[in-house]
Amino acid sequence: MSHNVTSADIAINGDHLDNSKVAKVKTICLAIAAIGSLISLCLLFGVFGKWWQGNFAYSWVFSFYFFLTLSIGGVFWTLLHNVSNSGWGTSVRRTFENLGSTYPWVFLFGIPLLFPQVNQYLYEWMNTHREATGNIKEHLHHEDHLMYAKYWFMNIPFWVGRFLFYGIGISVVIYFLRKLSTSQDTDPKPGTSRLFAARKHSTYTLIIFALTITFTGFDFLMGLDYKWFSTMWGVYLFAGSTLNSMAVIILVCAWLKSQGHLKHVTGPEHFHIMGKLLFAFTTFWAYIAFSQYFLIWYANITEETSYFLIRNTGNWNTGMIFLVVFHFIVPFVVLLQAWLKKNPKYLSIVAVYTLCMHVLDHYLISIPERGISLGKIDPDVFGQISTSIPGAFWGDILAFVTIGAAFLFFLLRALGQHSLYPNRDPRILESANFTN
Amino acid sequence: MSNTRKRVYGYLAEFKSASALYKAAAKVRDAGFRKWDCYTPYPVHGLDDAMGLKRSILPWFVFFGGITGCATGFALAYTTQVVIYPTVVQAKPTNIFTIPAFFPVLFELTILFSAFTVLFGLLGLIQLPRLNHPLFASKQFHRATDDGFFIAIEARDAKFSPEGTRDLLAEIGGDNIELVEEEEN
Repeated sequence: MSHNVTSADIAINGDHLDNSKVAKVKTICLAIAAIGSLISLCLLFGVFGKWWQGNFAYSWVFSFYFFLTLSIGGVFWTLLHNVSNSGWGTSVRRTFENLGSTYPWVFLFGIPLLFPQVNQYLYEWMNTHREATGNIKEHLHHEDHLMYAKYWFMNIPFWVGRFLFYGIGISVVIYFLRKLSTSQDTDPKPGTSRLFAARKHSTYTLIIFALTITFTGFDFLMGLDYKWFSTMWGVYLFAGSTLNSMAVIILVCAWLKSQGHLKHVTGPEHFHIMGKLLFAFTTFWAYIAFSQYFLIWYANITEETSYFLIRNTGNWNTGMIFLVVFHFIVPFVVLLQAWLKKNPKYLSIVAVYTLCMHVLDHYLISIPERGISLGKIDPDVFGQISTSIPGAFWGDILAFVTIGAAFLFFLLRALGQHSLYPNRDPRILESANFTN
Repeated sequence: MSNTRKRVYGYLAEFKSASALYKAAAKVRDAGFRKWDCYTPYPVHGLDDAMGLKRSILPWFVFFGGITGCATGFALAYTTQVVIYPTVVQAKPTNIFTIPAFFPVLFELTILFSAFTVLFGLLGLIQLPRLNHPLFASKQFHRATDDGFFIAIEARDAKFSPEGTRDLLAEIGGDNIELVEEEEN
């Protein structure tokens, strides 16, 4: 079926998503996102009291970063496709770009983190900095040597500067790459110039990607406990991000195919290769996750072990063991099957499963810190230091649904904007006839 | 001089191009032959489907090879460092919970055993190394490494017949059809 596709099979004016078909879903998503954001902002800025303000800050950073990994992964696959001069992916490249194009929108949900009302509960080092009267560095020198030593990196003006860089850098990259790609769809003389331009500009921008995924991880998640550090952190988040954005790409492609789109240009071979990437990054994630654990476990340094001590206490430990078995062993064995990877339906089931595990992974990254930090900051409101705060998980669900609905809205919006595959790309036939 | 009997290997036929070979292979497959093969100067994508080749059993060898390697690694590390000579490093326990320290060994041996089963399993399945192949008796066969596209149907195949198979090869576009006999030893 996917063999011997000729230019006669390619939609000359592109394969467009019927916007009226998704209008209803989009409206619902937008409504949920709007109402959810309103409630969330009230929670974040203390309208419902301090208890919610503190707890919900963690819910927010968890959901925000979760969806950020999906979006930024879309950018990564676009860059990788271009820079590796890949032929197979041309027919699904637009999906990479569409997923990546949600990045600026998802990043907007990070803006509350800039406000002291929100980040006072998340990033305790900022409180110490704010308490200082006069020279901050001098103050830190007496307060906490670790903070003093880290001052060159962990100071509020630089943090805000980095925040802007994360928001603008990748947004600009994906905006121009997507524009370069979509402008080809209507060009009567497409040529190869865009191919070379995309390849050229994807090289150095890959560095911006690497910096963004690594340092957003440092600033937003590792910063939850300023004492803790892990050299594997950036690559750990990168592994989860790439894996799960591929899961989203598979789901989008499978859905589009079930709706009669991407006809002739994608087939079992494309799903096979995407399944293989899913498999590869499942293994990569496990490799990195274990390496991080291994280094910390072996070295046994107080500042480093805190992360795993918290997560190996109480019910969090069950979650961590669950992650080993169900984020790695199960999908590893399941994805070994070649026939499964060639079948969009079965592969989609695995993709949904992988995303569920990613939720758990990120929940275990962000949330266990809540009971510890909040108990330290204000025991009168949040109670003594504990592994978890009962009832706070409702906020997690709200934040997840809110940003998730917005993510879905912007993804569907992006899908509806342009042709679903680059119909005038010089390599579209190569990609359509690809066999592995 | 030439009254010694030679064993017949099968028919060898040449095809004009990779595309002609591809189409011919599908027809040989549909004719129900099992013991036959295609010979091309370069890999032809999709030819395995056209030939109706089943998926190789090799991945299963590798899977169990890997499991064997992992088990070997565990037995090795556990026996030496926990059972025979408990080694306390940095106050780490010497029991089953020492397992993170064994992981590099488990991992490497899994890879090593998998790689060995790939290599030796592959050599076994394709029956290499061998000193000679009956097709080398053909004068035209060397072109399979240059510009020749060949199909060889073995006489061992149940469907093989001296006339029928030759006619089939001619019918599907084969040129220079040759009955290959094994060389005298």
